[in-house]
Amino acid sequence: MTPQVLVDGVIAGSMIGLGAIGITLTYSILRFANFAHGEFISWGAYFALAIAAALGSLAGGNVPSLGPFSFGWTLPVALVLAVGLTAGLALVVDALLFGPLRQRGSAVIILVMASFGASLALRNMIEFVFTSSPRYFSTDLQIAQPLGGGMRATPDQLLTVGVAIVLVVGLHLLLTRTAIGRSMRAVSENRQLASLAGIDARKVIRTVWMLGAGLACVAGVMSGLVVQVRPEMGLDLLLPLFAAAILGGIGSVPGAMLAGLIVGLAESSAVALFGAEWRSAVAFVILVAILLLRPSGLFGRHE
Amino acid sequence: MTSSPDAPTVLSAHGLFSGYERDLPIVRGVDLAVRQGEFLLLLGPNGAGKSTLVKTIAGLVPVHSGTIDLQGADLTSTHAHERLRRGLAFVPQTENVFTTLSIHENLLVAAQILPRAERSRRIGALYQMFPDLERLKALRAGQLSGGQRQMLAVARALIVEPAVLILDEPSAGLAPKVVSEVFARLREINATGVTTVLVEQNVKAALAIADRAIVLVEGQVRLEGVARELAQGPELGALFLGAQGRRREARA
Repeated sequence: MTPQVLVDGVIAGSMIGLGAIGITLTYSILRFANFAHGEFISWGAYFALAIAAALGSLAGGNVPSLGPFSFGWTLPVALVLAVGLTAGLALVVDALLFGPLRQRGSAVIILVMASFGASLALRNMIEFVFTSSPRYFSTDLQIAQPLGGGMRATPDQLLTVGVAIVLVVGLHLLLTRTAIGRSMRAVSENRQLASLAGIDARKVIRTVWMLGAGLACVAGVMSGLVVQVRPEMGLDLLLPLFAAAILGGIGSVPGAMLAGLIVGLAESSAVALFGAEWRSAVAFVILVAILLLRPSGLFGRHE
Repeated sequence: MTSSPDAPTVLSAHGLFSGYERDLPIVRGVDLAVRQGEFLLLLGPNGAGKSTLVKTIAGLVPVHSGTIDLQGADLTSTHAHERLRRGLAFVPQTENVFTTLSIHENLLVAAQILPRAERSRRIGALYQMFPDLERLKALRAGQLSGGQRQMLAVARALIVEPAVLILDEPSAGLAPKVVSEVFARLREINATGVTTVLVEQNVKAALAIADRAIVLVEGQVRLEGVARELAQGPELGALFLGAQGRRREARA
């Protein structure tokens, strides 16, 4: 194994971690595993792709790159707008599907099956609207820069890690230092008591959908930036996301991020040691092992 | 605070039927009027519907028919979180604090419905009332003893200066000495003007601190009177023993 495995693992892990945070938040508040979360990652990437392309056309088609990065000003603007659109999409899915099921008091398995259905529908809609061909935010070639110790990374890759760190720290502060964060933790622990404390659980649920989908969008754009944009990109990330969410402990944001990095490093190590075809197997092995050995994860509370 | 018989009604229920399943009411036609400043005790044998009644008033159990009014406003179809904003605070019997949050965060969560400028003033006032909580404020609520948890739960409910405070068996699972402390504290809180409704199994001790008591049997009000008089009269014991006898017959 070369030291480059570490860099590759951290880059993949930062994307997995961001996606896992969305899963862990929705699971801890809504009490079901949302298998449609991967599609928020894909839709987020495609929203940003479409907006960036539209802005590029409006700007005359030739947008210069920002500093050392492979993209111009259109992508950051598109990312902000796409986060809003992805959050809106999550709210629409909740209003049309999960909300009515919650009101009926549907069993968890019904919600999980509904999320499978939503996942299929959302993925097929992407193929219908954008086709199944891979797309790219930028076709510019980037040269990986030496980081020392035999490791290299492109500016785009380093940016994705930086963005992930900033978002995780920001989200951690939101959960621990703000009123809405405390409300989310309260609803997560005991929804009935939270309502007796004056918290409107519906508002908290909306916030959780928006936060989770927003982070999924960022993860999708980052993944699209350093790899490519495909309709199945969210589906392919789903197993590592769940492995990270469960390994980190349901409800723990730092746990999800740390576990994302662990899963990312395990994947890149497996690729280096056994070959690329074993990448997916690693997340599965971690998922099964943690469920058997420590179901509450690294930082989760015992239910 | 002994409430005057002329004091206005602050909380009332009329013809209340409620329960978790539509065709199986647990509370069956309860009429209730709680006067301003009163300390009302809800008694009854196990399974009488006391907890269901107070949970219905708090908005946790569906109302089948009838109405609930607080300070003249109809609460019947409002959500539980809105009832606190209207001045009705409820302390459940168990799971009544957020165990993963610190004591201070428990109070901050409840204070969120207050205007920003009010929050620290109210939390400061509660820390004065419960100095132990201030001393331990950084501690997670899950690390507190049973008595401390009850005090935190009561403090959390009081933070909005409610018109009515309802408590569901705060003595459950506590040592007798701690129960006396909790009851003494509830009496002090009532003396500040907070109308108090207490559900309790600890009949003798609870009658000693209440103004008035209502006895529920099989979801209906069977007896109502001044607490002191009920404590001395024979009706209360007869109702409890009668209910136990009926349950034995039903099992036989």
